Amino acid sequence: MAELEIRNLHVRTEEREILRGVDLTVRTGELHALLGPNGSGKSTLANTIMGHPGYEVTEGQILFDGAELRELAPHERARLGLFLAFQYPVAVPGVSVANFLRMAINAQRDEPIKVKDFGRQLDHAVKLLDVDRSFTSRHLNDGFSGGEKKRAEILQMAMLKPQIAVLDETDSGLDIDALRTVAEGVAKLHAEQGIGALIITHYQRILDYVKPQFVHILLDGRIVMRGGPELVARLEREGYDPIREEVGANA
Amino acid sequence: MPESTPELRKAGSAREATLNYALDGAGTPRMPLAHSRGLARELYDRLELPRWRRSGFWTTSLQDLDLDTLEIRTHGPDASAPAFLDDQRSAGVLVQRDASVVHVELDAELAERGVILCSLEDAAHEHTELFERYYLRRLPIDRHKLEAASAAFWTGGAFLYVPPGLQVPAPFQIVYEISQGGSAQYAHTLAIAGPGSDLRLREYGLAADSDGDSLHAGQFELYLEDGARCRLAQVVDWGAGSVHDVSTSIVEVARDAWCHWLPALLGGALVHHHDEIAIAGAGGDMAFRGLFFSERDEHLDVFAVDLHETGPSGGDVHWRGAASGESRASFEGLIKINQGAQQSHTYLQFHSMLLSASAELDAIPSVLVGADDVSASHGGTVGELDEDLIFYMQTRGLTRPQAVRVIVEGFFEPLIVQLDDPPLEQLIRERIGVKLAGAAEEIERYALAR
Repeated sequence: MAELEIRNLHVRTEEREILRGVDLTVRTGELHALLGPNGSGKSTLANTIMGHPGYEVTEGQILFDGAELRELAPHERARLGLFLAFQYPVAVPGVSVANFLRMAINAQRDEPIKVKDFGRQLDHAVKLLDVDRSFTSRHLNDGFSGGEKKRAEILQMAMLKPQIAVLDETDSGLDIDALRTVAEGVAKLHAEQGIGALIITHYQRILDYVKPQFVHILLDGRIVMRGGPELVARLEREGYDPIREEVGANA
Repeated sequence: MPESTPELRKAGSAREATLNYALDGAGTPRMPLAHSRGLARELYDRLELPRWRRSGFWTTSLQDLDLDTLEIRTHGPDASAPAFLDDQRSAGVLVQRDASVVHVELDAELAERGVILCSLEDAAHEHTELFERYYLRRLPIDRHKLEAASAAFWTGGAFLYVPPGLQVPAPFQIVYEISQGGSAQYAHTLAIAGPGSDLRLREYGLAADSDGDSLHAGQFELYLEDGARCRLAQVVDWGAGSVHDVSTSIVEVARDAWCHWLPALLGGALVHHHDEIAIAGAGGDMAFRGLFFSERDEHLDVFAVDLHETGPSGGDVHWRGAASGESRASFEGLIKINQGAQQSHTYLQFHSMLLSASAELDAIPSVLVGADDVSASHGGTVGELDEDLIFYMQTRGLTRPQAVRVIVEGFFEPLIVQLDDPPLEQLIRERIGVKLAGAAEEIERYALAR
């Protein structure tokens, strides 16, 4: 059982303050959705959780099982059991998906994983996520379509078995088939590995396939509304404007 | 034998004189050793130590090197081959330590079938006809003092001959070692692939880390006769000592012959390589690959020439270089298509990666075309470490140095994998890994500074 707790988080880039006091807790086994329009700070939150050097935490805390993450390098956060599925995964030229996965797994272990064990895990993961085994001999994200990149992200998540995963707009740019595969993959990993996930999205459609228990709405660097799946339905009906007015009136 | 050569006094180049000396009845140039030694000695006395100006701000100079202080060190035979070759199968091994060939071994069956692997000194005496037919056939010796020095003073040397039609899958390995600082090594490799033969040849330049300036003045010539095929790799890693390497390598590709050539320049205080591949016969084809990695305050200067003397011919030149520390590296690539070399098709690309803010890396491509029915073009990229890519890998649990290593290995991998030679691929990957480990701290500083 792991817990990612974000308290009163303020984050800025060189240009401006983006997050202005975010509170959010995600535990193993929980599915959270974070919705917000463009520019609300969603990707900033995802990158800050993993320790991207371009974002400066000016106030607040990020705790993993009660321990402060701020001084930890990204790879140390990963080794604790955090994972980020990127909105725009970058190509790793010259390294096959399988070799990269092996490297990443070995980075978390003292002894390198046995070839047989690795093969078995990889077979299981490709089956679970319905990707072709030959996919894993291609260079990671190099020349991949949008859908292939996102599948490769979920495949990495399946192999690395994080406690808590942040999925940064994993659904953007996908056609409906790719979206379904990716979303169902996340749902299966949740069911099978019991991971906790923070699904960050701009659209609502991924939530047709993954059912979050907790829904948060991020506007202008703050979480302004929390609820259950009914919030998703409301957003779909009304969009962000009525919510903006409502919380603006409250503020 | 004339003591002084009237050709030298003519206006025009002494190179021409060198190449055209002593035409025999059939018009084949021949070069008796004593003659070329004499000619080279004259050139040596006359020529200055070299200085190359690559571009407005780029100069490679050996004018501070004091040749008189360098020693020619000789050694007795050594029964064993270098340890790094232990677990490889070789067709033959020749090792020159400083000025002496100390170890020669050749597969007995190959020797029986006519393969020759011996010191170049021995070849000049024992295989005079072959030696004189090919020696310096294409290699210039008159462009600067060290070229002349090499031709005048080389000792030991390597000679390889593979007879017509013979296919040799295991590699021939030629190793030049500099055992300590303060040495001069004048080296010469002459290799001949008979018509229709097929071979792999590797040449290494290695040195123990030690103090004091050393010199490796190297000449390499490989002749691929009609239809011959060769995979040639040169691995140069002079280590952290002060080795000055000024070398010329020339590969001649005759009719329907093919060569895959990869120089890997992995270290040396000052390295100047002129690497030239010449398609001399119709249907000749080649893949000319190269990689380098400069570090610390190393100075690397590569001039790669892709020459088409006749068509139809093919060429594909692809070099990659990385520079760390305060090193300076320059890659100049030239495509030259001679008049009448119709239907020559070639492409030159160079990709670079800067690993430190104080390293400098320059690329100067040029194309000279003397025929109209040809295609010749060039391209390239200049890169730095991609911070987004590093972050991506870090989020998968890789440390920053691990991520950098993946990026740099991935950068070179497209060339390494084409070697089609696992032990050699492994060796080059390992050397690059060692260099990266050495550069880890400065790469970190570079990242913080940006």
